[in-house]
Amino acid sequence: MASARKKRVLIVCGTAIATSTMVAMKVEELLREHKIEADIRRCMTSEAKTAAKDADLIVATTQVVDVAIPVISGIPFISGVGVEQVKQEIVNALRAM
Amino acid sequence: MDVIKSVYDFITGFGPSVMMPIIITLLALVLGARFGRALRAGITVGIGFIGINLVIGLLFQYMGPAAQGMVQNWGVTLDAIDVGWPVAAAIAFGTQIGSVIFIVGLLVNIIMLVLRLTKTVDVDLWNYWHWAYTGSLIYVATGNFWLGILGSVIHAAFTLKVADLTAPVIQKYFNWPDLSIAHGWATASMIIIWPMMKFFDLIGLEKSAEAAQKSDLDRLRERVGVMGEPVLIGLVLGVIVGLLAYVPAGLTFGDLLGKILQLAMSMAAVMLLMPRVVSILMEGLVPLSEQAREFLQKRFAGREFYIGMDSALMIGEPLTLTVAFLLVPITLLLAVILPGNHMLPFGDLAATPFFVVMVTPFMRGRFWRTLITGIVIMVVIMYMGSIWTPLITATAQSIGYAFPEGAARISGFGNVFGWPLVMLSQLLFGK
Repeated sequence: MASARKKRVLIVCGTAIATSTMVAMKVEELLREHKIEADIRRCMTSEAKTAAKDADLIVATTQVVDVAIPVISGIPFISGVGVEQVKQEIVNALRAM
Repeated sequence: MDVIKSVYDFITGFGPSVMMPIIITLLALVLGARFGRALRAGITVGIGFIGINLVIGLLFQYMGPAAQGMVQNWGVTLDAIDVGWPVAAAIAFGTQIGSVIFIVGLLVNIIMLVLRLTKTVDVDLWNYWHWAYTGSLIYVATGNFWLGILGSVIHAAFTLKVADLTAPVIQKYFNWPDLSIAHGWATASMIIIWPMMKFFDLIGLEKSAEAAQKSDLDRLRERVGVMGEPVLIGLVLGVIVGLLAYVPAGLTFGDLLGKILQLAMSMAAVMLLMPRVVSILMEGLVPLSEQAREFLQKRFAGREFYIGMDSALMIGEPLTLTVAFLLVPITLLLAVILPGNHMLPFGDLAATPFFVVMVTPFMRGRFWRTLITGIVIMVVIMYMGSIWTPLITATAQSIGYAFPEGAARISGFGNVFGWPLVMLSQLLFGK
């Protein structure tokens, strides 16, 4: 049963500059499209472990280890390959929480 | 032709925060974006430049006098501040070469795709700055705009070629689809990595290609991870430099404490603010990058190709991160002990993962091979930065970056391919 609490999505990237900007924009668009309420935050890989404690889902463009929440690869958003698939994955993951 | 040149000079004369928006907007329109989207992209990029300039101002306001103090009090010759890659990128994009690098880079890519010299479609526009940097240094060194463009073209072609060559190993290591790493710096680091691979095989270090014991690696990363926090690095470095710069100056305790704390806080602020303002610039490039990708994918549909990506995709690899964290104190130590080095590592200390990001997949997860190669890379690029400080400073000044009185010179870690190219141009065509 999906909770009504606002979901928290964490965008994790190598530098939280280059790749995360595009991914954050796309995820925002996606959530608006599907009318999912969520807070989006961005951080670098080295900060991921701490930041993950206050998040429900990670969308990352790089490898993320040491976290207890689900991680979905956001690489399709920047490569353009497999975008529809990853969009579905994210929506499903958030709806299931 | 002369009319075009004078209009061009007129526009670029306004500086990157006006010039770039115009160029970006026009390029986006040419690639098929709607006017509103193109204009917004251009303006966002301009704001990003203005933001970067603000933070650079902060950096020099406090770091400049402190670095001078260090030199005066201790004869510490680390008077060239590594301003970090975001500033280097801002400088690279801000020159006349930078203003046309998107067009040049895309043309090189298209021509190479048509001639089947590459399989990589590189729409990672942000990283075109590495090519612009090489070209800009050559332009300033030789005074010849077209030589600069040639330098950028050669660097771009090299990057795309190495992207193809390295793709299979990387795709296998990270279990990726048809991506390649078309990053102007990462591909250049292969110049050091390939020989190091042969060297290690020769001496038989860590022969078996087993990944380092995961639990040991995790524990090590736990302990050294704190060294990867940018704000902490800024704070600590600020305190150290402040102590070295101001303690011998005979100030009252209150003044001394004030100066050190202000410096530490300013450095911490730069570490946090710089990525944020660069992020704004990046936001502006996103629409352009997408238009370029759609454009290229349509034109070259049906052919097998790799999508060229930023090396940031490999940053989170645990071994890469662990080695990168260890490299922070190691790099500072190297800066002090390497004879003849003038560069004070600062802005790039938070970016050490980028310097070793290509090493891990090629050393196939072997810890010592990765760490030692990382150290070799740092030594090479630090000397490069130290030697090219005058040229970097001149390039920044050529686009109007005004350094306050008594500020130190600026520098940055070198590009293993680009800078030998710069050296060649200086030898052959230097002013």
